[in-house]
Amino acid sequence: MIIRILAVIAEAVLLYILQTSVFTSIALAGVVPDLLLILVVSVAFMRGRIPAMLTGVICGLAIDFTYSSFIGLFAVMYLIIGYLAGFSNKIYDENDYTIPLILIGVAELFYNLLYYLVFYLLQGKLNIGYYLVRFMFPRVIYTVLLAILLYKFLNVCNIFLKRFDRD
Amino acid sequence: MSRRARNRTKKKIVIDPRYIFILLFILCIGTIFFSFRYKEKFKPVKEAFGNFITPMQRGIHVVGSTVADRFRLFTDIQDLIAENDALKAQIDELKTQNSILTQEKYELNWYRELYSLDQQYSDFEKVAATVISREPNSYCNEFIIDKGSEDGLAPDMNVISGNGLVGIIIETGRNWSRVRSIIDDSSSVSGMFLTTSDTCIVSGNLELLDDGYINVKMISMGAEIYDNYEVVTSYISDKYLPGILIGYVSNIRTDQNTMSKEAYLTPVVDFQHIEAVLVITELKEKLEDLDGVVSSDY
Repeated sequence: MIIRILAVIAEAVLLYILQTSVFTSIALAGVVPDLLLILVVSVAFMRGRIPAMLTGVICGLAIDFTYSSFIGLFAVMYLIIGYLAGFSNKIYDENDYTIPLILIGVAELFYNLLYYLVFYLLQGKLNIGYYLVRFMFPRVIYTVLLAILLYKFLNVCNIFLKRFDRD
Repeated sequence: MSRRARNRTKKKIVIDPRYIFILLFILCIGTIFFSFRYKEKFKPVKEAFGNFITPMQRGIHVVGSTVADRFRLFTDIQDLIAENDALKAQIDELKTQNSILTQEKYELNWYRELYSLDQQYSDFEKVAATVISREPNSYCNEFIIDKGSEDGLAPDMNVISGNGLVGIIIETGRNWSRVRSIIDDSSSVSGMFLTTSDTCIVSGNLELLDDGYINVKMISMGAEIYDNYEVVTSYISDKYLPGILIGYVSNIRTDQNTMSKEAYLTPVVDFQHIEAVLVITELKEKLEDLDGVVSSDY
């Protein structure tokens, strides 16, 4: 259990640094892929709702502490995604690499819509079509493309960590 | 052994994930309100997290920019050759200009002494810093630089790059600071036309950013301004030092709702490839009221 938590924290820190420092230098079409979301959804698919919610809160807080004026906003967004995506754990299969990609794509779109709702719609910016085409779809595509590699890595980690689980 | 029996022997507590979700949800909403009301209470936590993550970001930034540079090496070589030729021609042109300017500089110094205009922003103390990470949500234009309160930085200090305004520091830690750039959606700067001294508000707009523009609003109807006029930070701004170049206006039109003119502005700073910035370690003196500091967002 402790090994699991340490592993998730290590993965979160690694992906957070990659997302904020490396991928901002190689952003495509001005968007950055959402690596932390891939982690949350992958944990949700592999481990279920409770681990996903905790991962979501850890990842969200990491963003909150550096880039947000209020603590907890991103944590709550990732928490909701972790909880909802956690239902998919029932159909988890080690060798399935298609369902998680679809899940990650849907979750990314959902996350962006939430973000738009909180930051732009409430400011009276109603031009959702622009945000969809310019930011949301490119982000979904970029995130899913990276998820192809990253999910494989996370899945291998998960299978490896199973050895340490008791019963 | 059945599942229930095993649970009983190990005394494993099983909680419905739904309740954990509700609990965490309420906790997070609670911290949002709490941090909104008492911003200072979270400062130590934020500082600690920043101190932990900044050295790693700084390290990996070097790797990241090296990789990006390698990519650029292959993609941009054609552009570079063309650019090189253009630049060479420009150097010759600039050389002649430079010699004229050096002559004029003596004259200018003399005039400055005459008018005692020694408070130009070029004379302010500056600290050089590197951009080490950016906001991960693509929508915002905030970034983290690798200098903090240790190097004498504080919130509300102006950040410039080359000859133009980049933004303002909104938060500092021990060895990092968060900068909001002027192209961010929530940024607004009180500006002024250099030639006519008409004031305006320069605000970021995400929807115009791809065309390389931001908004200029609240220009008075009587202002005689034309395309390519320079906009600098104004004297009446609370946070920005006066006279820093922001950019050039274009597309001037009348806003019927507020009975003022509005326009687009092309910033002088290339925000796509911003790497090194300068922070002016001088704060604009705040107007103080009898019962406290008066400040505004501009």
